[in-house]
Amino acid sequence: MDMITIHNLKKYYTNPVIGRGSKKPVVKALDGVDLTIARGKFTAIIGASGSGKTTLLNMMGGLDMPTEGEVIVDGINLSSLREEELAVFRRKKTGFIFQNYNLVPTLTVEENILFPLDLDGAAPDMRFLEEITELLGLADKLEHYPDMLSGGQQQRVAIARALAAKPPVILADEPTGNLDSRNGQNVAGLLKMTAEIYHRTLVMVTHNPELAQMTDRVIRMRDGRITESQVMPC
Amino acid sequence: MLKNNNLGICRRLMMREIKFHTGQYILLAISTCLVCMLYTFSLCLGNLTYNGFIFSYKMIYGSGSHILFYDLTPSQAAGIKGHRSVREAVSLSAIGVLSDEMLENRSVKLASVSPGWAKETEAVPMQGRMPKKQNEIALDELTMNSLAIPYELGTEVSLKWTPADGSGERVDTFCLCGFWENRMGQTETCAWVTEETAQKLSSGGQKKQALGVTLYRPGDLERQGEEILSDLGIQDIAFTTNLAWNDARREYAGLKAGRFYRLNLIVMLCGILMLYHIVRLSAAQDVRFYGRIKSLGMTPRQLRVLWAERAALLSLSGLLPGWLSGFLLCVVLAPHVVIGMEENPALYFFRLWPFIVSGLFTFLTTGIACSLPMRAVTGKTPVEAMKFVEKEGGGRRRGKRRRTSLFLMAFSGLSRRTNRSVPGMASLFLSLCILCCIRTMGASYDQEKYLEGMAVFDYLIADASATASIQRYNPKSRSIKEEMYQAAAAHPAVTGIGVLRTMEVPMYAEDMERAQIIAAFEGKDESGTVRKEYMADNPDWMAGYEKMRDKGEYIGIATGVSGLMLEKIMAQNILIEGAFSAELFDTGQYVIAAASSSSELKVTPPAGSRVMIAGREFEIMASVPLEESMISGANSREAQFHVTYYMPEEVFEELFPGYGIRNVGIDIDQNSQEEFELFLEELLMETKADVISVSDYQWIFRNAVFHNCMIPLFVGSVMLLIGVLNFGNVLARGVLVRKKEFAVYESLGMTRRQILRVLLLEGVLHLASMLLFLVPATAAVTWLWGRWWIANTNTWCVTWHYSLMPLWVSIPVLAASALLIPPYFLKTVTRESVTERLRVF
Repeated sequence: MDMITIHNLKKYYTNPVIGRGSKKPVVKALDGVDLTIARGKFTAIIGASGSGKTTLLNMMGGLDMPTEGEVIVDGINLSSLREEELAVFRRKKTGFIFQNYNLVPTLTVEENILFPLDLDGAAPDMRFLEEITELLGLADKLEHYPDMLSGGQQQRVAIARALAAKPPVILADEPTGNLDSRNGQNVAGLLKMTAEIYHRTLVMVTHNPELAQMTDRVIRMRDGRITESQVMPC
Repeated sequence: MLKNNNLGICRRLMMREIKFHTGQYILLAISTCLVCMLYTFSLCLGNLTYNGFIFSYKMIYGSGSHILFYDLTPSQAAGIKGHRSVREAVSLSAIGVLSDEMLENRSVKLASVSPGWAKETEAVPMQGRMPKKQNEIALDELTMNSLAIPYELGTEVSLKWTPADGSGERVDTFCLCGFWENRMGQTETCAWVTEETAQKLSSGGQKKQALGVTLYRPGDLERQGEEILSDLGIQDIAFTTNLAWNDARREYAGLKAGRFYRLNLIVMLCGILMLYHIVRLSAAQDVRFYGRIKSLGMTPRQLRVLWAERAALLSLSGLLPGWLSGFLLCVVLAPHVVIGMEENPALYFFRLWPFIVSGLFTFLTTGIACSLPMRAVTGKTPVEAMKFVEKEGGGRRRGKRRRTSLFLMAFSGLSRRTNRSVPGMASLFLSLCILCCIRTMGASYDQEKYLEGMAVFDYLIADASATASIQRYNPKSRSIKEEMYQAAAAHPAVTGIGVLRTMEVPMYAEDMERAQIIAAFEGKDESGTVRKEYMADNPDWMAGYEKMRDKGEYIGIATGVSGLMLEKIMAQNILIEGAFSAELFDTGQYVIAAASSSSELKVTPPAGSRVMIAGREFEIMASVPLEESMISGANSREAQFHVTYYMPEEVFEELFPGYGIRNVGIDIDQNSQEEFELFLEELLMETKADVISVSDYQWIFRNAVFHNCMIPLFVGSVMLLIGVLNFGNVLARGVLVRKKEFAVYESLGMTRRQILRVLLLEGVLHLASMLLFLVPATAAVTWLWGRWWIANTNTWCVTWHYSLMPLWVSIPVLAASALLIPPYFLKTVTRESVTERLRVF
């Protein structure tokens, strides 16, 4: 059963600095991507800088609009959604872990974690919250503001926030990019573990081949296209 | 599934925003308060201007009723009262009119007490009460002054009056039981008696009624008045409509108030700019913040609610202080806008709607300004919003590689803010042009010239019967006592004093004497019009002139003058004929003839001729144009055409012993003005004599100048504020948006002191480049406009005075901003370590 289906996905940009009018060169961030991701699996997307990994992840999360093609997540075709519905989709169907965390600086750790639920007006599952904050080592940091935390702690808050609303899909954009290798391994392990425990579909963009080894499937990208899809041995 | 159901989170986010950016919010709240103040001020001012005009029309009309019907029978009056268009009606049963000749310019109706009518015409006793007993009477002060009735309740008053039934003039005696000051319709009022007294005086005959009606819909009063009469089948009944509800007058009042209402457009524009400049300080950060929360699932609707709550909170925080300060400003300035009211016009015409409208406008202005970052997010995907960076103006110029210096860095920084400076520069230029032009205009109004032309004396005291232009002077009034005059003359501050007494006397002009006058008035002026035709709309003057022309009979006004009065008459006037000799004048055998004339026409009997005044013969020594500003009140209607004969005061007293003083003219040492005015106030406390002082003229002059300059001054000041704010904003932004850039410089070894020098240099270069344009351009515009204005103004009391004072005052303010703002903000952005700042997205 597929959780994410992508058909002929294209994202083209024109360079705002170089050239004029029709002579502006076109940057093909994604150039006809076709992909399916199975439910409950942990998938890694790897590739060099500028290969289109983050753009693809943003498309899956409904954070960016494609030039062409379609993205279907949990049976919902994102291109058919209005802006209002797309926002609600983001908060209910996906948990996004940003490379730069994207924590709201004016909210405490607890408020940041519960933010997607608050946006929805949904009552939080406090037992689940306790569980994940315990698991991520944030139990004693709940009253802190983000600027009082280290980079690793902020990263964990971002992970907790992505999990808090129990979304079926978790999208992580280089979640270990700002961490040292040991902490990076820990976070990746944590993600894998939480995905397994809570039966989530996890897609992670990474540069790190070692982390990719921990996943169920590795997709390699180059120049906006998928060049290789490898199912990892159990 | 995809429902959006929580808006409560917006409030929490907003409150946290305020907590984390308190400084910016305080600045925004202060600006909102300022915007609200400006709206409240201009709306209240517009409201009181409009109502002031309406009020003055009502005062002229003399009643608050919409229509006044006259000469109605009781059944006709009852019919009108019951008409469907009439909401309320007040009636007046007048039994006659006071017919003393001293009241000839006014109509004072003798009527039985009508509380409704008295209320509508403000003819309610303020001292004493309405008549309750037989023969009691209540009068207005103007009537009492004209008839020399003392302000003492219980005084026996003999009044000459003519019954409405035309049965001939009679005199009756009443007892004064109350009196009031005239505020409304000085030409028409009532003398109240009881119903029983009225019945007795009119011998119970059929009385005609006047009816004042208030309509449900006070529009097109003429048509409604005719409709009422035609519906009731009443014919040949006269009615008048209230000027305050006249469409044309209302339109005019609206036009006058409109200039204050139009100010709101400027306030809105300036308010948006002002708030936007503050919001823009963190605009890029705000856009990225909105992008971030959007990426986490915040819907556009929730973003809109967040924006609306932010705007509402800011508006609410600025409303109360804005309303209060705007209204207080209005209270202070209102007496300069609507003049002549005892009450403060802002309080008298207080209405709620300007506050409601200013509140709505404030919300709208704040909303528009705060929506700018929000609108930058609209249509952007979260990814685009999170990557939002404001484009810097200017361009990178390629050229030969030069060694980098602090000056070059500053110059490069300056070129990046060129585009951003344009709105502020335009605002500064416009505001300085407006303010310098207004300053030049204000300084060119010449108070000395005005006072020379208007105030002949420092103080002119007028007898109580001659305080208003419609009041016929009564020589028997004697409100200026001899001892008062002596006390004033003895005051050490007085440098000159003189009196003027007048008496109307019938005179006769021989053929030769009148020939000169007739030649002047029957002659044609430069436009080919026969001069007497200019007086055609004054039938009393025409009748007097024709009587003189045909029979030689006319009214001469014997005018006794002494001291300063005589000095001023001779100093002010040009001799038309003859020569003046003080010694000969003092002998009492000579008079100086004077008559109203707009030119140096010979409109008096010729110099050298002899005239008989009250049985004594005088020779006309000289003739001069009549200086009317030295004489207050009115002469009789019969004396509309007259010749004034100035004679020594002692001679006047010999001819007319026992009569009062009409005017006293006083000049004082200006250093003792305050002390003398207190003395004068005390001196005149017990009398109703009026005084016009030089300070009244000064006030009128300053008020007129202020009135002319107020709106452009207001607009210019607001625009200047915006301009200075924008300049400060550009300087602040020049630091705030370069947080990371400065961290890079520091990481490469640049000291903070060097960065500060770059910023100060940028500020100074920025200011210098602005002044290079502003100073010559403002000076040129002001000079050109000022010269044009001086050449085209209709005002006579102006002397060219070029002033760039607002420009010189604003330069230190701008310089201080250039030197103080960058160090302050540099300190703010360098609080974090270099590494932390380098990490900033």
